[in-house]
Amino acid sequence: MSGSIGILKKELRSYFYSPIAYVILGVFLFIMGVIFAKFVDIYQHFNSVQRFGGGQGITLDKLATYLYQNMAFILCFVTPFLTMKLYAEEKRQHTFELLFTAPLRKFDLVLGKFLAAYSMMVFMVLVSFIYVFFMILWGNPELPIIGTTYLGLLLALACYVSLGGLISAMTSSQAIAAVWTFIALLLLWLLQSLGQGITAKTGFVEWGPLLVFLSPLGHFNSFSEGLIHVKDIVYFLSFTLITLYFTHCVVESNRWR
Amino acid sequence: MIEVKELTKKYGDRTAINQLNFSVARGEILGFLGQNGAGKTTTMKILTGFMPASSGTASIGGYDVFENPLEVKRKIGYLPETPPIYPELLVTEYLSFVADLRGVPKSEKSKKTDKVIELCNLGDVRRRLIGNLSKGFRQRVGLAQALIHDPEVLILDEPTVGLDPKQVNEARNLIKGLRQEKTVIYSTHILSEVAATCDRIIVIDKGNIVAQEALNTMGATGNLIKTEILVRRIGDNLKQRLSAVSGVKGVNIISNGTHRLVVESEAKEEIMAEVSKVVVESQSGLIRMSPVQQALEEYYLSLITGKGGSLS
Repeated sequence: MSGSIGILKKELRSYFYSPIAYVILGVFLFIMGVIFAKFVDIYQHFNSVQRFGGGQGITLDKLATYLYQNMAFILCFVTPFLTMKLYAEEKRQHTFELLFTAPLRKFDLVLGKFLAAYSMMVFMVLVSFIYVFFMILWGNPELPIIGTTYLGLLLALACYVSLGGLISAMTSSQAIAAVWTFIALLLLWLLQSLGQGITAKTGFVEWGPLLVFLSPLGHFNSFSEGLIHVKDIVYFLSFTLITLYFTHCVVESNRWR
Repeated sequence: MIEVKELTKKYGDRTAINQLNFSVARGEILGFLGQNGAGKTTTMKILTGFMPASSGTASIGGYDVFENPLEVKRKIGYLPETPPIYPELLVTEYLSFVADLRGVPKSEKSKKTDKVIELCNLGDVRRRLIGNLSKGFRQRVGLAQALIHDPEVLILDEPTVGLDPKQVNEARNLIKGLRQEKTVIYSTHILSEVAATCDRIIVIDKGNIVAQEALNTMGATGNLIKTEILVRRIGDNLKQRLSAVSGVKGVNIISNGTHRLVVESEAKEEIMAEVSKVVVESQSGLIRMSPVQQALEEYYLSLITGKGGSLS
């Protein structure tokens, strides 16, 4: 365990010593800020229309759900930048020799690296808490729903980060790792529409629901609607743990070559 | 301290090392000599637990490398061919990270870091980014990394590559200073390096050990040494008078432009003294008298070329 803490500390240092952490944090918050501003705009528009007796109002909770679904999607773009270097860089710099000849326990390395990238992502997401603050200030959001949404986000992020780590372990080029991580995350999201499309077009029910289940989108959406299903938690946790185990295997396989 | 038995490593069809057997005693400095690609690095990687062998066993301090990797790794300090450094960290941060990896207790960390910084002469660069250091300093940071947890065994893969002559000298002295205290395996393809630091050498060629002996007996035929004598002129019956000195086994005159003699004799100081006295008394004009040192080099080349190696 002390080994993974050492790795965690070093990885966090590396993030903040390179401009990458600041750039990503800045860009992410800027994009989310734009979306949130738009969100406030829509909210005000609907409410003022409603106040003068026209049309239907929109609930704050409905909007918040959209906001966080957007955030979960945008985080797919952010993840590759934080996970690309995890293993690819070690391979390129010949530092695996140091890690492999240190008395680390079996999962120390993978765990330390995962926790480092994960805590960066969690930090970013926590900064977005400021939106909750504004919502409370000028509206009356359902706080429990926001709570489950954040729980869903944290679980989804664990999946993203573990997948990014796995892909980084497979290559020695950061750029390749980033591109493939992005493609993989996007495909995972699209599985939902793909599965639904297959079911709708062909009525073929064996594959459609399976693809839908494999996509994180549906699982996250039920969190953002205030639902905590055991199946969703199991999905996210098992996805993360299996991916971390594969990462461990891939990293270990480097020794056999 | 280190026992290697029948150690073999194959990469696919290619045999990198073939049934190596050797052992290293506690406190000994072993030179691991061979051409590039002879299997030095492979052997070291197996000993450090970086990669598994195809067959055979290796143990360090009584622990098998494959069965008790954690115990073995605690005892070892390893400097790979490319120093495993992170350019974005400061020297002190890097060493503190390695100390964490090596499980150095928090209370001893700063003390041990200071100690290796002093040992490896890194005081001036301790607050600098490793990425901005010259190759020589990086190599020393790599060495400091290998020493930080005060390991019993030190495995160094070509530690002096890329250093300038002064730094090479410093690194050698540092390693020599560890004698008795630590067991060191030291790989290189530079002969003078081995002669300067090691107690014993193993010559490896194409994955096989071709020689394994203590350095002071290496290449010597019996106990004879050769001395080269340069004179202004070969005086009357100088050769006969030299041959007459007791202990001298043979005298050869090599005269191509300059006047040189090679005297083969037993390795004793009084014989040398007697030889020089004879040369001076013969009024030949003694210019220089020096022992012939290329014995090691000749021996090494004969080992490798004798095996059909291609040495240009």
